[in-house]
Amino acid sequence: MNVIFGIVLIASTFLLIIANPDAVLGAMLSGGEKALSLSVKMVVVYAVWLGVFQLLENSGLSKKIASLFKPVNRLLFGKLPDKANDYVSLNLSANLLGMSGATTPMGIKSVEELEKHPNTRYAIAMFFVINATSVQLIPSSVMGLRTTMGSISPADIILPTILATLLSTVIGVILVRVFCRR
Amino acid sequence: MSKYFIPVLFLVIFLFAVFKKVKPYDAFTQGAKSAIPFATKVFPYLVSIFVLTELFEVSGISDAVTRLVSPVFSFLGIPKELTKLVLIKPFSGNASLAMLTDIFNTYGVDSYLARTACVIYGSSETVFYIAAVYFAGAKNKKLTLPIVISLFASFCSCVFACFICKIM
Repeated sequence: MNVIFGIVLIASTFLLIIANPDAVLGAMLSGGEKALSLSVKMVVVYAVWLGVFQLLENSGLSKKIASLFKPVNRLLFGKLPDKANDYVSLNLSANLLGMSGATTPMGIKSVEELEKHPNTRYAIAMFFVINATSVQLIPSSVMGLRTTMGSISPADIILPTILATLLSTVIGVILVRVFCRR
Repeated sequence: MSKYFIPVLFLVIFLFAVFKKVKPYDAFTQGAKSAIPFATKVFPYLVSIFVLTELFEVSGISDAVTRLVSPVFSFLGIPKELTKLVLIKPFSGNASLAMLTDIFNTYGVDSYLARTACVIYGSSETVFYIAAVYFAGAKNKKLTLPIVISLFASFCSCVFACFICKIM
């Protein structure tokens, strides 16, 4: 991250000094503004989802979901402590259902728990790659957009999307297995 | 159909919680409490990512890179109209959404380009955003290898998307 950030920072500032020196600070501030407005939106989204998740946890329903995912998790991550298994399961189910608001808070909690895992590096790499390649089953937001733009058959992208996202996840999982094991 | 999904799911969760004698008000409040610490933890990382994307765009590096890789991409079957989308998707969800809308308007929603753009948009994630946000609180931030793996896997699915949309 530091390398990429450093290169882009220096190269773009340099180019802008030649082309348009007024734009440097403006671009950085506008980036910050976008980050703030997104954060404000996210506080609300986190609050609602974390509230709902607390109900899930206190009622014991999250344990039930977690036990459904246990075999899959064991296959992907190896043996996980109970708490990590709970959060990872909730994150994965939110991912599958395309509930993007819910994936982030559960993702952060999962990472916190996975850090206590005996084989942290592998488990975290696996968790990251699965989330970053996305395992969405229903691309609902794209379909919604297509409908509002007047598509004749907004649903005809479902199957190609599932195949493509499956492919990227499988490639990712295999590569993590090969390169990040122990 | 899908508009009923979340409300029905919530109803099930609420009913089950009450059935299990969970105090709904106390539990919900307790959960919501951690939202602000979450956001403050994530905020500095978001600022860095957004400053990075903004500079990348405004300085013209993004256009230069697009021109540079375009021939390689078209060799792999990615049309030049979609090169920028493939490049920007790992950095910014908003920017790629704007690009998607743009492609809809220019080429028509049901065109090959628009459908392929949808599959590319739907099948990959904003890799750098996830790296920043999920690992905001983590001690171990050595993510270079997982990031490279994710980018490579997402790129494969982009190439695949361009191919599958031709035949489906």
